[in-house]
Amino acid sequence: MSDIFDYLGYQIPSLIVEQVEPNKMKTMAAILRDPYPVHWDKEANETLGLKGRVINQGPLNLSYIANMLIAWQGPSCIKRLQARFLKPVLDGDTVIAGGKITEIIDPEESRIRAKVWLSRDDEIVLEGEAEIQITI
Amino acid sequence: MVPVEEMLKLKGLKFPGGSMKIDHWENWLLTDCTGSAQLPSNIVHPIALFHIPIQGVGTSIAELFALGQVEGAGSVGLEGYDWEYFSLLHEDVDYRFEGQVIEVERLRTKSGGVFDRFVFTIELSTTEGDPVAKVTNSWRFWRIR
Repeated sequence: MSDIFDYLGYQIPSLIVEQVEPNKMKTMAAILRDPYPVHWDKEANETLGLKGRVINQGPLNLSYIANMLIAWQGPSCIKRLQARFLKPVLDGDTVIAGGKITEIIDPEESRIRAKVWLSRDDEIVLEGEAEIQITI
Repeated sequence: MVPVEEMLKLKGLKFPGGSMKIDHWENWLLTDCTGSAQLPSNIVHPIALFHIPIQGVGTSIAELFALGQVEGAGSVGLEGYDWEYFSLLHEDVDYRFEGQVIEVERLRTKSGGVFDRFVFTIELSTTEGDPVAKVTNSWRFWRIR
């Protein structure tokens, strides 16, 4: 595509996380200094009806969308991320990050807006918007 | 239940503020947790805008939980983030942090749940004062689920 307006409606190549790993949640909890047990203590989550599973950190869920954008347009492309967390993601889940270009914000700066989401099976677990600077 | 007046007093609370660097080892592990390859040129992974501002402004997740008077599984939920990146963050560079609690309100869900919506914002700048990033995070402190 040689014209930025050709990107309207473009589907960003999706990123699949085959299996959300509990060990990465443990490392993440240590990095974040996060005392919330839902990310590392399966027994604590039994009271939540999660059958011995742990909940992925919200920032990790959002990171899959960031990684999708970086894979598409490079590490400096992200200018804004807005996210709403709808459902918890659990260890062992397969999730898919997706996005679609909805607006050309500034043609001169090649800045665009995308609707972004993270899905598990047929449900959206995280949705939001991203502002990206693209290279044409 | 925590009296709503105690929570509403938190609106406008300023965090201590401060400065900090992002170490290579920390960025390496963080990036690895996301499943990404390491980024080039010591670029900090964009997801660092969750914990680095909280630490840089002189608080912690544990302190924020204490402010919200929450403890244990199911007591906290994420509502949303709004993160703006004005320039790339790099490892081993000093950044300054300022922030405050901008909104607190008690809300009820249709199913009878009660939570306090807790919103805080933190701005990152260079030591020269140039803006680097701004984060606004919205959490839920659950009172009745």
